Amino acid sequence: MASATEVPARPAYLDRPAVRILTEALGAERVTHVSDWRGDLAITVKRDAWVKAASLLKTHSELDFRMFLDLCASDYLDNRDDRYEVVLHLYSISKKHHVRLKTTVPEADATIDTLCGVFKGANWFEREAWDLYGVVFKGHPNLSRILTHDDFVGHPMRKDFPTGRRFVNKKTKEWLLQVPPDSEHPVVNIGPSHPAMHGTFRIQAVMDGETIQDAEAEIGYMHRNFEKMAESRTYWQIIPYTDRLNYCSSFMNGHGWALAVEKLLGIQAPPRAEAIRVILSELSRIMDHYVCIGTNVVDLGAITPFFVLFRVREEIYELLEACCGARLTVSYVRIGGLAADVPDDFEARCRKLVDSIRQYTLQADKLLTRNPIFNRRFRDVGALGKDDCLEYGWVGPCLRGSGIAYDIRKDHPYSGYEQYDFDVPVGTVGDCYDRYLVRMAEIEQSLRIIEQALGKLPKGPVIVDDKTVALPPKDKVYTNIEALMNHFKLVYDGILPPQGEVYGYTEAANGELGYYIVSDGKKCPWRVKVRPPCFNIYQAFPQMIKGGLLADAVAIIGGLNIIAGELDR
Amino acid sequence: MGLLDVLRGKFVDPTHYPSVHEGGDIITTRLDAVVKWGRKSSLWPMPFGTACCAIEFMALSASHYDLARFGAEVLRFSPRQADLLFVAGTIVDKEAPVLKMIYDQMPEPKWVISMGVCASTGGFYRSYHVMQGIDEIIPVDVYVPGCPPAPESLIAAVMKIQERIQNGQQAKSAQRAQKLGSPGDAWIDRRSRRDAWGKEDSERAAQGLPPGGVLPLVPEAPKKEDHHG
Repeated sequence: MASATEVPARPAYLDRPAVRILTEALGAERVTHVSDWRGDLAITVKRDAWVKAASLLKTHSELDFRMFLDLCASDYLDNRDDRYEVVLHLYSISKKHHVRLKTTVPEADATIDTLCGVFKGANWFEREAWDLYGVVFKGHPNLSRILTHDDFVGHPMRKDFPTGRRFVNKKTKEWLLQVPPDSEHPVVNIGPSHPAMHGTFRIQAVMDGETIQDAEAEIGYMHRNFEKMAESRTYWQIIPYTDRLNYCSSFMNGHGWALAVEKLLGIQAPPRAEAIRVILSELSRIMDHYVCIGTNVVDLGAITPFFVLFRVREEIYELLEACCGARLTVSYVRIGGLAADVPDDFEARCRKLVDSIRQYTLQADKLLTRNPIFNRRFRDVGALGKDDCLEYGWVGPCLRGSGIAYDIRKDHPYSGYEQYDFDVPVGTVGDCYDRYLVRMAEIEQSLRIIEQALGKLPKGPVIVDDKTVALPPKDKVYTNIEALMNHFKLVYDGILPPQGEVYGYTEAANGELGYYIVSDGKKCPWRVKVRPPCFNIYQAFPQMIKGGLLADAVAIIGGLNIIAGELDR
Repeated sequence: MGLLDVLRGKFVDPTHYPSVHEGGDIITTRLDAVVKWGRKSSLWPMPFGTACCAIEFMALSASHYDLARFGAEVLRFSPRQADLLFVAGTIVDKEAPVLKMIYDQMPEPKWVISMGVCASTGGFYRSYHVMQGIDEIIPVDVYVPGCPPAPESLIAAVMKIQERIQNGQQAKSAQRAQKLGSPGDAWIDRRSRRDAWGKEDSERAAQGLPPGGVLPLVPEAPKKEDHHG
């Protein structure tokens, strides 16, 4: 029994700059809780200090959290004093650190001040939090439904909202923009069923001749409730759902999910599994860039590069199919490793594939990079400056196209990326052409990583030897009572992580794909929030096309590589 | 091989096989047999791709699987020019009126392929915003299972459609309405939902209005003051 005089040592994280500066500026009574669990610094402040705390984190020179990552709400029902919680994730490019700022919102007065004045990117995130949780953001310029349709009643992500309750929607919202009735300028509606909008995005633009005067985007045409479904699934049952977030590179989503859950559990996959994950992730990145470039130029009227790139995509599919049996939605990762080892001829096939990818990429490069028509459509179109990129929370090739060399594989290596030698290509102007060049250069860098990983592919198991996380091998289940019991227990009870919350992030094909997981210690997560790269990127789209030509909007949207499954989840 | 051999078996009714007249340059057959043959060999698909399935549809139309071999490579993104609707991907409630409008805008005769489990039944998204199968609102001719289906099964579906065209079959109303899920709030009654769509539309039709889920084809022109008065 501890004696009364024994004072526990003051945790070191209380001296972290963010905590110190916030406590000094807001007063100790406004900073209600600080924690540093699994390396995630989380600071809870009182609701009345919310905007001040966020702007301080952004502007203080010692902190410099200028990159807006994510904002979401969570519902804790009766488990806490205040029912709702609003969570903000920020990152600092210069200091290379993350922070999670939280505040609580009571049910009786579910309101909070908006952060739209601090971060431009907060706009859509706050609309989403209101749409799904009903937390009102005071002072928000346009607090309307964003993911669900207009006939929807209630806020579906609340814990007391039944998962299957649907409302019929018979009419699409007709006007996204307010146009005076006597306006001389026509309104052009593009999408959602428009070839350039890929079936699910919608833009309305007020035209002045060929020039776009004003534009507004609408999303939600693909909102299929990943987060709600995740709350009633066990951790491994969520893996197939993650495959369908960014379905152009589905392996990477599962990879990110597995890493986030492994962070929550405090385990690490064996080296062989990590190396295979890296190889397949890089192949997925190449596939994703192929779809982006291929469909982008199809929208502009060039179909040959599409055929060239999809030809080699088929070869990547064949390799994935050999590994796990599926072409597109692979479901190959498991928490703590991989579902099965790769086939024996994996290395040889991979090397052949790398050659083939080089050859086809060169072919596409010859068709496009110096093509005068392509150049005229892409150069100096849709440029976005560095500051705006950070405010909106741009990530991945789009951010690097604007000249910021932020790549999680380099800055916060995971899965052993620190062992591989590769470059981070960056653009200069930030126009469509730069984004295209960055993608083409990344394909080559990914090939370099694959070759290095193949060169030192370790031997050994592909999943952790932990009976509370990984299913025992099938041959043991059929022959050994202990393995059978473990199998039964794990299938019946699921993986039981400790209570707590983590933010796991990886560099997916479109940029930082984050999973914010709140665990209450049961077999299903309490809350899962995906930080989708596309959501931030697409949010800037209406602003980018203003003042440009309508035809340029088509070139821009293809180059941003917005994937609906990830955008709307 | 003569022309007759080429054409033999292409037409529907064995009793109406074409016959070749003297010299072999005149063929007689029934008109509808020729029309159906022409239709099935020149399908113009409209891809309504929303999600993962659309990527596999791209693979189908690209060089490796090459839908052109079945005479269906002319992809039209305007429903008014298409006779085969590929619904590739999850259709959510917000997208439903759009899909219905696209379907209504297609000229007859038209066929619908529901690609993947999401379009067919909602798939593993049993949730508040996902349509539990597009047959809640539009009729479907061929359902293709898979998540997403491999291009081979899509080719099979196109061949199935060709067979249906040859046999003169067409889905005329939504099918397979049934209850899904457990009773309670999560109960998804597809039949009642479909009836809700249909019933209100018939009432609207009686009043001479367009169906409820359909956007007016021409937006109302903003009212202007007459400058010349």
